[in-house]
Amino acid sequence: MAGDWNDEADALLERAEHLPYGDTKTRILEEAVRLADLHGDIDRGYALRGELIDAATFGGAADKVLVAFAWCRGQQKKDPKRFDPEEMLWKQKWVVGLMDEFPSISRQQIAAALDDLEQGFARVNAGKRAMLKLRYLTAMDMGEVDEAERLWAAWIQTPRDHLTDCRVCELDDELDHHVRRGEWELALRKARPLLDGRQFCTEVPHQTFGTLLYPLFRLGRMEEARDCHQRGYALIAKNREFLATVGEHLEFLGLTDNLERGLALFERHLGWALEHASRRDRFTFYTAAGFLLGRVVSAGRATATLRLPRDFELYQSNSTYETRALAAWMDAQSRDLALQFDARNGTDRFARLRQRTEALRTEVRPFALEG
Amino acid sequence: MDHRFQVSLRGVIDLLSHHLYSSPGVYVRELLQNATDAIRARQHLESQHPGTLRLELMEKQDGGATTLVFTDDGVGLTEEEVHRFLATIGESSKREALEARRNDFIGQFGIGLLSCFMVCDELLVVTRSARGTHPTLEWRGRHDGTYDVRPAAHPLERPGTQVFLTARADMAEWFTPERVRSLVLHYGGLLPFPIHLTVGGQTEHLNRDGAPWSASYESPSERREALLAYGRQVFDMDFLDYIPLRATSGDVQGVAFVLPASPHFNAKQKHRVYLKSMLLSESADNLLPDWAFFVKCVVNANALRPTASRESFYEDAVLERARGSLGVALRRYLMDLAREEPRALQRLIALHGLSMKALALDDDDFFRLVIDWLPFETSLGMMTLGDYRRAYSLVRYTPTLDGFRQVARVAAAQGLCIINAAYTHDTALLERLPQLFPEVRAEPFSSAELPQSFEELTDDERHAVRSLVRVADRALLPFRCGVEVRKFLPAEVPTLYSTDEEGAFRREAERAREGADDLYAGVVAGVLEGAPGQLHAKLCFNYLNPVVRRMARVPDREVMKLSVEMLYVQSLLLGQHPLSAREMTLLNQGLLGLIDARLGDDDEGPENDGGPGSREVH
Repeated sequence: MAGDWNDEADALLERAEHLPYGDTKTRILEEAVRLADLHGDIDRGYALRGELIDAATFGGAADKVLVAFAWCRGQQKKDPKRFDPEEMLWKQKWVVGLMDEFPSISRQQIAAALDDLEQGFARVNAGKRAMLKLRYLTAMDMGEVDEAERLWAAWIQTPRDHLTDCRVCELDDELDHHVRRGEWELALRKARPLLDGRQFCTEVPHQTFGTLLYPLFRLGRMEEARDCHQRGYALIAKNREFLATVGEHLEFLGLTDNLERGLALFERHLGWALEHASRRDRFTFYTAAGFLLGRVVSAGRATATLRLPRDFELYQSNSTYETRALAAWMDAQSRDLALQFDARNGTDRFARLRQRTEALRTEVRPFALEG
Repeated sequence: MDHRFQVSLRGVIDLLSHHLYSSPGVYVRELLQNATDAIRARQHLESQHPGTLRLELMEKQDGGATTLVFTDDGVGLTEEEVHRFLATIGESSKREALEARRNDFIGQFGIGLLSCFMVCDELLVVTRSARGTHPTLEWRGRHDGTYDVRPAAHPLERPGTQVFLTARADMAEWFTPERVRSLVLHYGGLLPFPIHLTVGGQTEHLNRDGAPWSASYESPSERREALLAYGRQVFDMDFLDYIPLRATSGDVQGVAFVLPASPHFNAKQKHRVYLKSMLLSESADNLLPDWAFFVKCVVNANALRPTASRESFYEDAVLERARGSLGVALRRYLMDLAREEPRALQRLIALHGLSMKALALDDDDFFRLVIDWLPFETSLGMMTLGDYRRAYSLVRYTPTLDGFRQVARVAAAQGLCIINAAYTHDTALLERLPQLFPEVRAEPFSSAELPQSFEELTDDERHAVRSLVRVADRALLPFRCGVEVRKFLPAEVPTLYSTDEEGAFRREAERAREGADDLYAGVVAGVLEGAPGQLHAKLCFNYLNPVVRRMARVPDREVMKLSVEMLYVQSLLLGQHPLSAREMTLLNQGLLGLIDARLGDDDEGPENDGGPGSREVH
């Protein structure tokens, strides 16, 4: 029996390497980790968790990222020579970045994790840029507007070093910033190399297309918006990591009155939302789904035929749903999550995000995607 | 008059040969490209101009260097244009500049000529412009960077360009008739105008066929034969079938060949692509949708944008739409097969199941058509989903292999058929199944669901296990594990640890928390907070097992508790669940306790110091 399991773990690892990011890849690596643990091989368990952290980070399983890292952290504390924390700093950056997506993780815990990471960076004499971006993103997520502005300015002018994210990922974050400020043209100009396929990374331009839908819509550049929707959705349709981006597409479909297609996407991805680890991504999806379903109700459709997961609270075995009830349920989820986030953050960002979506009703401008 | 280039020509040639070109043989490609561009430019002026390209190899009888003369009847160059291309050469010292210049006719012409210096020391270009009346010019360039331009001693009779290359001594191998012929066919075999090669007075028409997919054939079977022969020639492989490809976006045409064997994993295939009939790459891999790894293809694109390395195309909107159309062509082939030759499709599925599963995930119509033919591994052997559904009304599957192992044996003994959906795409397909077929029920299955299929105890039996349940409940509560007693097969299995993915994740989180520092232990607690379920799992005792029945009768509660704990740990290990530190302690203490009990009372009696093995056993 001994020896066998290593081969089996190797085989799992090889299969995982050939899979795109997503549930299957994540599950396979979890299985490999369990094998190592079962046989008490801590070194292998540590190395495999490194792989699992990557897969879960890009496969939409934030809870698994945090748990796998916590285990590795335990080993680092026990034996820092054998398990050098420095080698995991890159991943730790993702880990800390994910924390604010769980309202049950407190402000103090997030602040402590940021400080702890900053000390880790300082120990290896890394520059400040990566840390500034992470603090900026966290402040922004948590609705600390002034602090976020200050950190943005500091981040942008700090030199790059070996621990900063790649230029493409940084550019993608810059786009979010411009879009948030309503700088549509600027965002689109900066996004050009990403849209032309000249630059890309693991999640770029996957997310970028979703980010740019609203700016293009606002500028009336509808053909480009349609391209972004079609190209973008194809990139994200099979990985739950992009649940929030699916939300952006739902919003766009509602705004342009493509309700049939909107419902098809809603039907396909509600299952992700129901069990998604990231509460923040759930919020984005539910808020957009509420908007879309609200549009369906306004269009006079009382019922819709949808195949929704059996564990959905409103599940109907005859597949017939009252659109008003669905819209209300999505809205209630969104409101509940907004309350949790705003309570934890001590700001009103999520309430304001809901107001923004609420106001979209007045902006609807039909545009046929086909033909 | 003599001139000198503005920059070190050596430097530019060095840059080209080391960074831009993979082999000296590309000089043929560059000259073909120049001639093609020139002919196309002339066709803009005179739409009926057919265009011809002539190559002549002049081998010296005395063993001196061979000269290659490359003649086109394209648009030719004016004096002003000659100076422009020379200026381009001067500016071409950066790779980016080179790439940018390639998009313009004159720029490409200059860069193309430069590549010739990889194989010769001196170059003579004789050219006459087709735009108005211009004299024939002669440009002589040397590798040391000097050149001169003058009116030609022998004017050309018609517009066009002639390039004379005299092989450098160490490059003679690139000038043999065989090498030149094969390079021309390699790079320009699909060019839509005739290319002639003259050697020793004999002229050969090299590219008689053009693109084989554009040719006309007597019959479909002849077309099929010709295309499969072409596929064999290009890829050295006997393909099963061919599929015509066409996309308006990017102006793409070509043919896909169905691979005779399943590729290792879902490796992206390397395709051969031509840009405007000139070979661009033999290893383009972003031309087809992700699922289409059951074919290799040859295509020509007239309007896609090549990357700097010229290995593939930029991921832009045009390529995206082209890929969509090519995907539609492949899908249409499969859909037709499904309707008209289902057996052929089933053979294809047997060979390329992974590719077919990937397409089914991408395409609902294809999913509906083929899902019942797709093969799955089950606890009762391999079967198609159709066979499975005919036998069972509920489709049960496990998303992981260890999940499957945990249930396979016991499930099979109860006559339950479970699909092992740990293979690539299987879980995603089965999750999609009820969305597309509302009448079908498909549910993930785990050891948590198993006890539902087990027989309940009678009232008497329930009475008989009352104290076992009470003791076990209390013993396992710290491990967040509930207790149940049922009857199930096989009878040799005393207990089953039943849990689902959520439970397994909570076990993992618990173990991570045990070892982490306060900061991250707190974070893990935060992650778990609010997630449902107090109990991770259930330990199901098998009343058909004789040991379990004896346990239930043991009067000594401590022995009963110890046995429960041992069975708990054993069932965890059998289910391949890693033990937490506390469970490990349980195992160690329990083993010692059992040994202690077997040794019986000796003079000193049981130890009672609170350490391992301190349980009171009588």
